[in-house]
Amino acid sequence: MADERDPWVSQRYRELGDAQPPRELDQAILAAAHRAADRPHAPLVTPAGRHRWYFSLAAAAVLMLAVGIALHIERQQPDPEAVSLPEKPATQPSAQVAKERRDAPQSAAAAPPAAHEAEKKPANAALKKEKRDAAEGSRPAAQPAEPPAGQTDRLESAPAQRRAEMSSAAPELRAMRKPAPAARAPAASNYLETPAETPERELERIAELRKLGRDDEADKALAEFRKRYPDYRIAEEMRAKVERPGPAR
Amino acid sequence: MGEGRADEELMAAYRGGDARAFETLYARHRTRLFRFILRSVKTRAVAEELYQEIWMRVIEARGTYTVRARFTTWLYSIAHNRLVDHWRKRGLTLVSLEGDDVAGGAPDPADQAQAREALARFAAALEALPPLQREAFLLHEEGDLSVAEIAAATGSSEEAAKSRLRYAMAKLKAVLDDG
Repeated sequence: MADERDPWVSQRYRELGDAQPPRELDQAILAAAHRAADRPHAPLVTPAGRHRWYFSLAAAAVLMLAVGIALHIERQQPDPEAVSLPEKPATQPSAQVAKERRDAPQSAAAAPPAAHEAEKKPANAALKKEKRDAAEGSRPAAQPAEPPAGQTDRLESAPAQRRAEMSSAAPELRAMRKPAPAARAPAASNYLETPAETPERELERIAELRKLGRDDEADKALAEFRKRYPDYRIAEEMRAKVERPGPAR
Repeated sequence: MGEGRADEELMAAYRGGDARAFETLYARHRTRLFRFILRSVKTRAVAEELYQEIWMRVIEARGTYTVRARFTTWLYSIAHNRLVDHWRKRGLTLVSLEGDDVAGGAPDPADQAQAREALARFAAALEALPPLQREAFLLHEEGDLSVAEIAAATGSSEEAAKSRLRYAMAKLKAVLDDG
């Protein structure tokens, strides 16, 4: 097995002495070896058999944590809509109000998610019109439902000025978007100049209609409510108040 | 038990939990490995410390042991790595061979003294070798490693291992030739 060996050198080397490790060292090493043999070594790959569930459980826990964090972040992000509100034109609130009044006589702007979605399309169209008007030097007509004054001025200013004003308003809007979703409703309602309604408030209004015997209006409002909040689960007690009572049995 | 089994088989058995296989393996290699360490460091205390650490690493690494090379090559590669760490931290000095039993064998006191002197020169020459040449020589002598195995254990090329071993042998042989 060994090559390059010189017997004479090897012999002289052997004559240097036969040093041995001390017995205590031998015993310590052998004891450690025995202890390790009784203990399974940590594998580098997922073990098979009875220990496999450790890894599955850990993976599941990590996954749940990741999903929870993602949902939490998602709930904390009304940002795009809150920040983009200043870009919507002054006409948009009135258009929205008119639509709301048509669809539900006594309903105001809805809570943010559905309301903002409904606002976007007419808002974009109106914004384009506003831009054209601004470019041609015309000014939009006075609106019955006015957005906050700053925003009106913003819409009528030149683009560069508008951007400057919008950016200065951004901190306010960012401050507005920080509270919980329920608290966002007031910010949206200021913009739309209609009292904001939470789902609960809407249900109470429908219950009031029902109580006054205005069943048709109540039915319509309830249908609108269900369309707007398809996943909302109405409590039993409230359901009894808002739903048309069935025929007596 | 296990005396006739190859080192690789014993190590694999130990990996599977057979502590007796390790005992056999340890008995086979303990003296040579200890001498290898002893000739490479400053004091016996350090040699004992490194020796124990090397075997601890063998025990800890049993789960990853695979028979890709001889067990001896694997063992001495662990020893080499540990020595390199030691050399880097503390610099290289060797154990003095004073006090070690010198097997002179010659009955005549004058001859004994001459033999002792010749051996001392040899020990000094070994001590004076550059670390990598000395290591190559010791791996060759104590570990019975071939040039290729020395290269594998030390992470060097075969050419480099061959060259180091050759230089070491030449220097030691020159000391013997001088008397």
